[in-house]
Amino acid sequence: MSLLKPFSKLPGLNTANILLVESEEQFQQSLADALVEETSVTVNVRLAKSLPLPMENDESRPRIDLVVFIINLTSELSFQSAEASLKYLDPGYFLGKVCFMVTNARNASSPAERLDAVRKLASSLHCPLLFAEDQTPDGVASATERLLTILKVAAGLVPIATALYVSNLTRCTLPLDIDLPSFD
Amino acid sequence: MDNTAKRLLQRLVRRIPSQMLKTTLDKWSRLTAAQRQSMDYTESKWALTEKLLAICEENELTVKHIAELEMIHVIENPNLGMWYVFQLMDPQDDAHSVELTQFKEQFKSHLSELIRHVSIKIKKHTDEAVWIRIAWGDTFSRPNHLKPTYVVHYLQTPYVFLTSPTSKQKPLLSQALVLSTRYQAIKDANLSGRKLTAIRDLLMKQYLQVFPTKFPSPLAERNCVVSNLHIEKEQAGSAANRHQMACEAFGDGILPQLQSAVYKLETKFRDHTNKTMTERDEPFKCVVKFASTNLLESLRHSASSGVASTPVTPLLSSVPLKGKNYFVITDNGPGPSSQMKPSQK
Repeated sequence: MSLLKPFSKLPGLNTANILLVESEEQFQQSLADALVEETSVTVNVRLAKSLPLPMENDESRPRIDLVVFIINLTSELSFQSAEASLKYLDPGYFLGKVCFMVTNARNASSPAERLDAVRKLASSLHCPLLFAEDQTPDGVASATERLLTILKVAAGLVPIATALYVSNLTRCTLPLDIDLPSFD
Repeated sequence: MDNTAKRLLQRLVRRIPSQMLKTTLDKWSRLTAAQRQSMDYTESKWALTEKLLAICEENELTVKHIAELEMIHVIENPNLGMWYVFQLMDPQDDAHSVELTQFKEQFKSHLSELIRHVSIKIKKHTDEAVWIRIAWGDTFSRPNHLKPTYVVHYLQTPYVFLTSPTSKQKPLLSQALVLSTRYQAIKDANLSGRKLTAIRDLLMKQYLQVFPTKFPSPLAERNCVVSNLHIEKEQAGSAANRHQMACEAFGDGILPQLQSAVYKLETKFRDHTNKTMTERDEPFKCVVKFASTNLLESLRHSASSGVASTPVTPLLSSVPLKGKNYFVITDNGPGPSSQMKPSQK
């Protein structure tokens, strides 16, 4: 099984590589365009629909510092595809190099159970859970900023901070009443 | 002018938007230059109607002339109302050499033989389409101009497009069409839609067709749509594959705008987890309807984005392939056998 490994390649100088995994392939494009605008660091963005990644690209692929799973809460397919992709990541990634980003959380058509399921998934894997708004340029910009903060740490470009250390602070935690029915 | 003519004119002025009223009236050319000058198109519709009624009284126009005006309007705007497609079957030897005058005479004479009071107007449009407007009456009453049927036929093709055919009029119309076009039968083509141009383009394949090819593009640069050197798509190969298969099934570029596809299922219920339903012998009848502002575009996008599995299932690709949007699926044999209820007329 072709697992994506975190430390099997050498890092680049002042470079950060991010992999965006999204079943719908929409938000990742606008995020990618905003991420490469960053000037202090060279950001390389790889886009995928799901894992595993094709073997043909193994040679040319740089070391991936951060894997972001983008889940659209209005689509069950999106969640299932992200969940199925998790098993193609080497466990070393889950020490601060994986992040979940969720869109359409405020949309009336996304069921609360799905958000709870994503929360449980993120907290069981000790990963941060970010909420993003993908329809406006402002939303894309703020999501980009947050991703860049985590990315720089995961790529080792921030002195003193490591991915594992930061993930301890940013990881998703479950509220105590998550299994109780909500008031809707 | 009698009541019917007045009502027809009133309805027509209501329907035609003010901007188009001037051009339509000019095309009609039943008003003198002075009368045309006196029409002020910025007035309200009510005022315009009154004006037009007065002018038509002056010119002693009858309901037949108003019907002409309606026909001009419908020919200019074929994309309103529902159109149903019928296909002529079994051409006789001289079916391919039927030309316009022959068709016109034959159709008028056959239809008037079949039904006593009927008003027929035939017009040939610039794009080789023959437009027929029929107002139906019966043995006792005059033709009803308020509920006309429009028929469009392209000579030398077996397709006929109808608006609002009622069950009483269909057999008479079919008979007249079959005799005047020198075919032997006519059947329901199971295609319907709001836009005449769209269903015509679908049937006559007037959109970009994509043919299966092993090497889709000789130049590798054609498939690269990334905006930036730093962005790279990992699965570009399979995405291009999916896109190619979706385009092969549905076509490339702008697709004709179909609004819906209906599948009537008469197959047995199949679900391992539900024993009670699976044990029944009778087929499980249900109707699945896909609706969209541009159905073919939606289906193509769902195939190229991976929501619908590729290669595209014949159930979906039959829509553009066979030019139908109503299917009856039964259990006989492998794959969807869309058996039409033989509606021979």
